[in-house]
Amino acid sequence: MLKFRMKKEWWLAIRLIHWSVVITVFTLLISGFYIAYPLSNGAGATADKFCMGNIRTLHTFFGVFLTFLMIWRAYLGLFAKFHARWHDLLAWTNIHNLITQIKFYLLVSEKKPKHEYQYGPLQSLAYSGLILLQIAIIMTGLIMVGANYHAGFSTGVGSLLKPIEIAMGGLAGVRLIHHIIAWGFILFIMVHVYMAIWIDVVYKEGTISSMVSGRVFRKVD
Amino acid sequence: MNRNFKKRDRELEERIAQDYQRMVKECDLHLDKMDHELPSLIEPLAEQLESAGVSRRSFMKWSAVTTAALMLPPVFKSRVARAAEQFGRVPVVWLHFAECTGCSEAFLRTSYPNVDDLILETLSIEYHETLMAAAGYQAEENLARALRDFPGKFICVIEGALPTGMDGKYLTLGAKGRTGMEVAREVTSKAAAVICIGSCSSFGNVQAAKPNPTDAKGIGDALGIKTVNISGCPPNPVNFVGTILHYLMFGAMPPLDSLGRPIWAYGKRIHDYCERRPHYDAGEYVEEWGDTGAKNGWCLYKMGCKGPYTYANCAKVRFNDGISWPIMAGHGCMGCTEPNFWDTMAPLEKPIAEKTFGGGEKTVDNIGKALAGVTAAGIVAHGAVSYIKRQGQKDIPKPQDEG
Ligand code: HEM
Ligand code: SF4
Ligand code: SF4
Repeated sequence: MLKFRMKKEWWLAIRLIHWSVVITVFTLLISGFYIAYPLSNGAGATADKFCMGNIRTLHTFFGVFLTFLMIWRAYLGLFAKFHARWHDLLAWTNIHNLITQIKFYLLVSEKKPKHEYQYGPLQSLAYSGLILLQIAIIMTGLIMVGANYHAGFSTGVGSLLKPIEIAMGGLAGVRLIHHIIAWGFILFIMVHVYMAIWIDVVYKEGTISSMVSGRVFRKVD
Repeated sequence: MNRNFKKRDRELEERIAQDYQRMVKECDLHLDKMDHELPSLIEPLAEQLESAGVSRRSFMKWSAVTTAALMLPPVFKSRVARAAEQFGRVPVVWLHFAECTGCSEAFLRTSYPNVDDLILETLSIEYHETLMAAAGYQAEENLARALRDFPGKFICVIEGALPTGMDGKYLTLGAKGRTGMEVAREVTSKAAAVICIGSCSSFGNVQAAKPNPTDAKGIGDALGIKTVNISGCPPNPVNFVGTILHYLMFGAMPPLDSLGRPIWAYGKRIHDYCERRPHYDAGEYVEEWGDTGAKNGWCLYKMGCKGPYTYANCAKVRFNDGISWPIMAGHGCMGCTEPNFWDTMAPLEKPIAEKTFGGGEKTVDNIGKALAGVTAAGIVAHGAVSYIKRQGQKDIPKPQDEG
């Protein structure tokens, strides 16, 4: 008979951030692609409609919300005294473990990598990539928000980021890069959700429910 | 709380009033100085306006509009008019490099005279390759004389990009066959200021578009100097006239953005001033040329309008004496005032999201869909293999820990 021990894996703050990011990114994806391909609506008077305007406001709102979630997560990762800190992103530096992990995922070997960090070695690489994607989409997003307004905080951020705007070839380039990164999120979500399910099935540790309850079940020998 | 706000408002108003007073004083002083310093005009502007049939009233109206375009308060109207009268006394050397002369054409060709064009005609152009009668050695002598007579005083206006490849030999000029780079370096080093007219001299434009075989660059880039860039293809004459007026009134070029464009003219986007903007926010778009949306003057976003990415004041000052401008005429903006717009704004009649990579149908979305497809296939395959393997090993369901 197998015995399991309950282990606190995710603190409340991390779980809150995780599901807020899920809702935020889905809203941003849908509203963002709507902005790229808006629908024409000829019915009624122009003055009574503000469809694109509202969706852009929604997108900007959640975009800025995502920025704050990211800042909060960075704060926790850098200064909070619990798991999922910044050095957990270095799990991939154990190359031997990384190779064991890749073999395990590719179903070549049954050997599991060591549990050294909060994240697995490949997982840490994927999440580092996600952080870069997030920084890039937030920066390009903030540049566009800055261009949309002519006073206040966003304009200040916009002028701070002006050199990046010019390096990207002006607002057109910024917009295109923003759009490209949006696809990065879609691909990440596909793999992330599949891996969560797969690991839940293979490890039987309750990976998926852990992001809700905060607890995983570790096998006791 | 409320009283605090009122007090702050009052303080702000006072500060602004003081600033304006200071500016007016500076402006008057500088205009006086210019009156003394500049060579006198052969034919005063008033006479020229009269012979072209432009009334004093239209001229005053023009100064009001130009004052507003320059973002100056109404007290400056009479000063703008005075600067306009001095306009023709600034010595100008006008150089042409790799370009089509479209900018000069746009400035000089008008169906009926408007004040901007007449003012441009009063310019005391010491050297202009398209307009001057002289040719060959005589032309070169004219240029040399201008540099001798007005060292550090003349304004160098440049039209056209500089090919920098092959030591600049893609462009040679004049009887002595000097390269554009040599001429530009010599003339700009002696000028009071360098104004780049049009996107070619500002940023390279079509000559610098990929693959840019001659390695063409804008003047600032090619020579490593600071220039005032009146970009556009062609630029609006108002933006050039206004910039020189500012120079006459305040003795300095107007504040510039990080790409060297005067902020008064290039500080906001086409999209911010566009008269079709309510249709954009409402969700009323032209879907194809000539449809009902087009007839109703709806937003051209889906027809590839690049107004949201383009800093310029076309919507405000318009072209040809304010008659019309591209979006009013029914075509989207193509972003002509932005660096490398042939590359960054392509495809010109489709939204930015439909840019193709390496030709064909390879848009970001098609590439993204293909990658998503591959990912999905990978997931299905991985899942299937995992399932089959586990079916075969019913007894050992648990993976072993290494450590
Ligand atoms: C996962 C995150 C995000 C996704 C998937 C996303 C997606 C998109 C997409 C697809 C577009 C349309 C691009 C096009 O027209 O080709 C867009 C536009 C835009 N996004 Fe995002 N975005 C995200 C995050 C952000 C953030 C963080 C901000 C700002 C803080 C932001 C601000 C904007 C703005 C201002 C626009 C242009 C809207 C306009 O000017 O009308 N986005 N986004
Ligand atoms: S026509 Fe172009 S500039 Fe005008 S609102 Fe539409 S997208 Fe913006
Ligand atoms: S509307 Fe756009 S493309 Fe047309 S002149 Fe103005 S900036 Fe250039």
